[in-house]
Amino acid sequence: MRLKTITHALGCLAACCLATSLFAEEPAATQKPLDPDHAKKYAEGLKLFKGKVRPLLMDRCGSCHGVDVIEGELDLTDREGLLKGGATGPGIDLKKPAESYLMRLVTHKEQPYMPYEEDKLLQAEIDLLQKWIELGAPYDKPLTEDKIAVIPWQERKVGNDADKFWSFQKLNVVDPPRFTDDRWAENEIDSFILAKLGDKELAPNDRANKRTLIRRAYYDLVGMPPSAADVQSFLNDDDPNAYSKLIDKLLASQNYGERWARHWLDVARFAESHGFEQDYDRPHAYHFRDFVIQALNQDMPYDQFVRWQLAGDEIAPEDPQALMATGFLGAGVFPTQITANEVERTRYDALDDMAATTGNAMLGLSVGCARCHDHKFDPIPQADYYRFVSTFTTAVRSNVDIDMTPKETATKLAAWEKTHAPKESELVAFEKNTLPGRFENWVASKDLTNQSMLAETDWILFDQITAKSKNGTTLTRQADGSLLAGGKNPNDDVYTFTSQSLIPGQLISAIKLEALVDPSMKKQGPGRADNGNFALSKIRVFVEKLDGKDRRELKLIEPEADFQQNTASLSIASSLDDDPKTGWAVDPQFGKSHWATFAVTTETSIKPSTEERLVIELNFQVNTKHAIGRPRLSYAVKPSRPSADGKMADLSILRAVSELAEKGDVEKLNEKTRTALLDHFRRQDSEWVALNDAVQKSLATKPKPNLTKMMIVSEGVKPIRHHTQGADFFEETFFLRRGDNEQKAGVAEQGFLQVLMRGDSTTDQWKVEPTSEESKFSYRRTSLANWMTDTQNGPGHLLARVIVNRVWQHHFGTGIVSTPNDFGVQGQKPTHPELLDWLAQYLIDNDWRLKPVHKLIMTSAAYSQSSQFDKEKAKADLGNQYLWRFEPHRVEAEIIRDSMLSVSDTLDETMFGPGTLDMGHKRRSIYFMIKRSQLIPFLQVFDSPEPLVSVGGRPATTVAPQALVFMNSPYVREYATNFAKQLLGTNATTEDIIKGGYWQTLSRDPTPQELAATAGFLDAQTKSYTDEKQSNPRELAVTDFCQTLFSLNEFIYIE
Amino acid sequence: MNLYQPLHRRQLLQRAGAGFGGVALASLLQQEQLLGAAPSVSRDPLAPKEPHNQSRAKAKRVIWLFMNGGPSQVDTWNYRPELEKRDGKELEGFDKNTGFFTGQVGPLMKSPFKFSQHGESGAWASEIFPHMSQQIDKMAFLHSCHTESNNHSPALFMANCGLPKMGYPCVGSWVTYGLGSESRDLPAFIVMSDPKGRGLPKGYSQNWGAGFLPSVYQGTWLKPTGEPIDNLKPPITMDVSQQRRQLDLMKELNQYHADQNPGEADLAARIESFELAYRMQQAAPETLDITRETKETQDLYGIGDPDCDHIAKQCLVARRFLERGTRFVQIYSGGMENERSWDGHKDIVKNHAGFAKETDKPIAALLQDLEARGLLEDTLVVWGGEFGRLPIVQKGGTGRDHNPHCFTVWMAGGGTKGGTSYGVTDEIGHKAVDDKVHINDLHATILDLLGLNHERLTFRHNGRDFRLTDVSGHVVKEIIA
Repeated sequence: MRLKTITHALGCLAACCLATSLFAEEPAATQKPLDPDHAKKYAEGLKLFKGKVRPLLMDRCGSCHGVDVIEGELDLTDREGLLKGGATGPGIDLKKPAESYLMRLVTHKEQPYMPYEEDKLLQAEIDLLQKWIELGAPYDKPLTEDKIAVIPWQERKVGNDADKFWSFQKLNVVDPPRFTDDRWAENEIDSFILAKLGDKELAPNDRANKRTLIRRAYYDLVGMPPSAADVQSFLNDDDPNAYSKLIDKLLASQNYGERWARHWLDVARFAESHGFEQDYDRPHAYHFRDFVIQALNQDMPYDQFVRWQLAGDEIAPEDPQALMATGFLGAGVFPTQITANEVERTRYDALDDMAATTGNAMLGLSVGCARCHDHKFDPIPQADYYRFVSTFTTAVRSNVDIDMTPKETATKLAAWEKTHAPKESELVAFEKNTLPGRFENWVASKDLTNQSMLAETDWILFDQITAKSKNGTTLTRQADGSLLAGGKNPNDDVYTFTSQSLIPGQLISAIKLEALVDPSMKKQGPGRADNGNFALSKIRVFVEKLDGKDRRELKLIEPEADFQQNTASLSIASSLDDDPKTGWAVDPQFGKSHWATFAVTTETSIKPSTEERLVIELNFQVNTKHAIGRPRLSYAVKPSRPSADGKMADLSILRAVSELAEKGDVEKLNEKTRTALLDHFRRQDSEWVALNDAVQKSLATKPKPNLTKMMIVSEGVKPIRHHTQGADFFEETFFLRRGDNEQKAGVAEQGFLQVLMRGDSTTDQWKVEPTSEESKFSYRRTSLANWMTDTQNGPGHLLARVIVNRVWQHHFGTGIVSTPNDFGVQGQKPTHPELLDWLAQYLIDNDWRLKPVHKLIMTSAAYSQSSQFDKEKAKADLGNQYLWRFEPHRVEAEIIRDSMLSVSDTLDETMFGPGTLDMGHKRRSIYFMIKRSQLIPFLQVFDSPEPLVSVGGRPATTVAPQALVFMNSPYVREYATNFAKQLLGTNATTEDIIKGGYWQTLSRDPTPQELAATAGFLDAQTKSYTDEKQSNPRELAVTDFCQTLFSLNEFIYIE
Repeated sequence: MNLYQPLHRRQLLQRAGAGFGGVALASLLQQEQLLGAAPSVSRDPLAPKEPHNQSRAKAKRVIWLFMNGGPSQVDTWNYRPELEKRDGKELEGFDKNTGFFTGQVGPLMKSPFKFSQHGESGAWASEIFPHMSQQIDKMAFLHSCHTESNNHSPALFMANCGLPKMGYPCVGSWVTYGLGSESRDLPAFIVMSDPKGRGLPKGYSQNWGAGFLPSVYQGTWLKPTGEPIDNLKPPITMDVSQQRRQLDLMKELNQYHADQNPGEADLAARIESFELAYRMQQAAPETLDITRETKETQDLYGIGDPDCDHIAKQCLVARRFLERGTRFVQIYSGGMENERSWDGHKDIVKNHAGFAKETDKPIAALLQDLEARGLLEDTLVVWGGEFGRLPIVQKGGTGRDHNPHCFTVWMAGGGTKGGTSYGVTDEIGHKAVDDKVHINDLHATILDLLGLNHERLTFRHNGRDFRLTDVSGHVVKEIIA
């Protein structure tokens, strides 16, 4: 799996250029003379080799390194191979023989210890090797004469007989066996079952009774027990097809998808968080769960179900369901904190997760086992793995906004267009034909001066050209002309705003300061203090020359504000005095905007010229960190101060008029200015206003797409990214020697598993190329989907076998192949291979629909037989592999909880949407959010798996913590309380209560024994609670009884 | 290897509840997940099992004191005088991607702590461990441990689960799977985390998860606040006699049903599980109650000492579980990262001295107490973190960044050779040089001490026989007595 051992692969030996000259470890350039003892050493070394080293190498090293196989790419049969070394750096160091990598491995100073997984060399042998290296490691001749022809591993082919293994073969065309006496049999399945039972001289059980059948069917298909009424009506239905009708009804129920989706979610290692260090949520991942439920309920053909999960984004990009399906690929774990060293390996891990899950889930093959070496058991060369993985090279998780109902949106839009278009054209016609003339007249006739424009307005926005903070606050201009403070929040500060006057020649009469709220502040401000307050110690206004000279201050008087904290030191008036410790503040009116206005004394006021600018200063020294968080300033030029809520001037008009005055002709105005002026004019034209209002009103009713955020896996989208020190993905996937991303061995182009490409088929025949250069998709996953579902030349036959086996497994408790995720050589062989193939073909013939398969299985005699145990039969087939009875089994975690909710009549049947971690919720358990670090203990204790890798089936353990749940869990107690209230509400007598409880949980009357025991219990508990002076002794006693019913084996076993 | 030997029904009933409620794996767990083709006989997943090699089985149980965040080897147990000499010098050829903060590479920094030799072995210890250093002759040091990630969570997974990624069973789960449990009514594998609100180790519960092993083998996390174990208290309206009466009714009704379904071993096992649960309600709180210990013992551990009260309590609780048959205990010192654990990026003095103070006395006491009770000889104590720290200073402070290339782990008791030291690092404690101990080797050694062969302890999942040691692992025989 990983690299370490693999250092085994390492080339033990050095790549110095000894081939020609023995001691050429001295760089040739230096031209140092050879060791004078060279010849002597050579002769000595050779003697050592012939006598002792050669036998040692042959005995302990050669078989793995050149004689039989070549491990680690190291061939030490001759000196050339020894010197060339293996996959990694120098192995022998002729200068420091003892430090040679080879020596470190054989002396067990470093791993992998050599000889690999064998006894260590004797000390004498180690000394010998070292001596030989010291003498230059000479060979007289190679260890073997026949060199192994090395086919690069990237090109390795599987053998011709690789596909002879049963699961790789095509489906056998089989006819169900025929019997002279097949009265037991209900359909073809039973013929196969009878044939096997016959071989073992076993007879199947009789049909189970109707009560058992309806309970079995309900638990199995919808995951909750039938109500008393359901059972009664089924028992009373004498129609011979009553059972068949029941199955149809349950398969049509929406609850079917909620029950069976859970099985696929286990296989898909589905969860809604990333796992690893922070385990961040994937709040938009639930769509995949919803997709699986919907697809099952719609009886979506299984091949389409598979295709969409692999490449729904490429195959049906407009269909939200197809996009939801791609969540399959992205459901695995992924680190959220990745160091630079780990970036590439992490990406290969992610590719492995997609490939391995695809292999296990869809083909029942452990593709992932070929990451570091050729698969040990199945005919999957390592190179096949990299070609297969290459499919996912550019696929990434992404959160995208998707219209969940695109068709409805389109229909609504079309209807709206019909009513909207005429209004739009009417306005356009008016603007084209009538408006220009009126505009020209207006321009010509009206005295277009600032004065006339200003007549309509009260305040002019102080349109800051510069905004500076003395102590490092950042001030960012907002669309409404305010400035948002951010970054540093210094103890005290001075904001300085500067602007050239837009209306030269007007006497400034008043100043307005607004302190606006903003979500970026605590309590939304309007101040930056921790409580949202501010304190303005002083406001000052100046006029100065553009170069900053000749500054004059405008004196502010008569301050007014909408609110002030007090009338003394924190009043609006105190923001005009010279005391820096007093000023305007607004505690406790936080979270709302405030304003203040000031008049300018006529003596000090001036008419700024075009050569001058206005400067406004806000000082904050009253209290630490008490600056205004989002100030906006404006001023007035009317002789008397306007009211604070007076109209704000349209700056663009003011600018336009100034420009017009300058240029003298509308035609000379630039487009922007002209438009501003026109806009101003038409707003006063009642006809235009009416037409425009109609259009605006209509636009407001324009249907919007039903956008929902969804996590998908796709290409050319923005990857979900957390704390990573590198790229999210790479454009190419490489063959990796030993699975080590430091050992790349060429680019791996997409390919499929050789053993599952029939005859002369090659990857190309399933390939889909991008339609254009601009296509954001590579269509590699579509190619994979094409191959996957090809029953003729691809693995479609295996795909069908694997899924019908899963369906069988969840009906009977065990699959025909009992290792549902492993159909390879290591997996179990099918108990009924012909039946498996026949069912797979049945699925394909039924357009890959699963519901007919469910129906066929559930209406078979094999499924409907009783679970009666029989010692004699068990002797012949203890594990019931051949199905002489229906094997009883405990229901799964989700069913336990859902059943308690259901019988206590508190189940919330809301389907789909985000899940929750709240154990108190009342929806079905499939709607728990699956957060990897906070799995639901209630479900875990009943064996719900960890969503880390594909899980093909769950164990059914019996451990005391499960009993503790039934006895002590506050949730079980709550369900029991609700159940008790309901029973008490509808039944009068103790006997009725007991019967009602039995019918709802166990679908039957209590036996006289049970009735007596329970009645005695109720009396005793009621008395005990009465003695304790509990206010509701009877309810408590019935609750204890209900809790007991939940705890019964009969309640949680399918029999 | 098939760890599940079929049991006859009678045996099963005798054994019922051998572990923390381990009663029966109903649908067989014939290796590859469950639902196997093997006979449908109930088996007890937590029944005690024979180790592979009885004669090598020196340890019966393990307590792993996990110094979360990565203690610095050169400031704790690996004394490097050369580092002192080269203090302030640049470390030439240093790969800046070694640690986490690639842009904060400073010069070599000597340990701010004084080192001295202790015990008969004369092993070196930093002054921050005044109590543990008195127990130094019990310790076998592995100075050349190295790992595969420079990042907390992969390194934690590596240390706990044998691979630097998520999804694999942890050591405690493997051990419990391999040996079962010796306790009838306590969890086989418990984990305690930081109770001071500093969080959980990165990767959270995955560090004690069972991965693809059945969930019965996952660690039981004793919650640091509220009730440590779920569902141990009856509903508030119920007293003991009322619950007993309810259980009797349950038993009676279940028994009628079982009588009508002879041959179903699962049903009997499940009936038994309620009785076991009832007993557990008493046993677990009793074990958690350290007030039953003498004042002397409490003082030894440091109960009531504000510096170390929390770890003292955890160590004492651990000992109580261990002596009652719990197989594997893990205690995490420190919470998540940075100042909240041994992750001393900024200030090694403040960080390491602080966490040493929290752990030194309780751990020393645990060693003494185990020895005094005769438990040390078959209880393996492991001390270590997920990686080490660099010998250079992390720029901008006086701390050290992560170092996967070497760190020190010590083991005591359980068949280890106290007073030994194995493995060599370079002179400055940057990299392990000789006799390197990979995490897989560490795991192989722990399993070996328990009599488990790391190559035979396998579980088949999705077509592959998985091991704790993946495809590697060598037992460090040199530290085994």
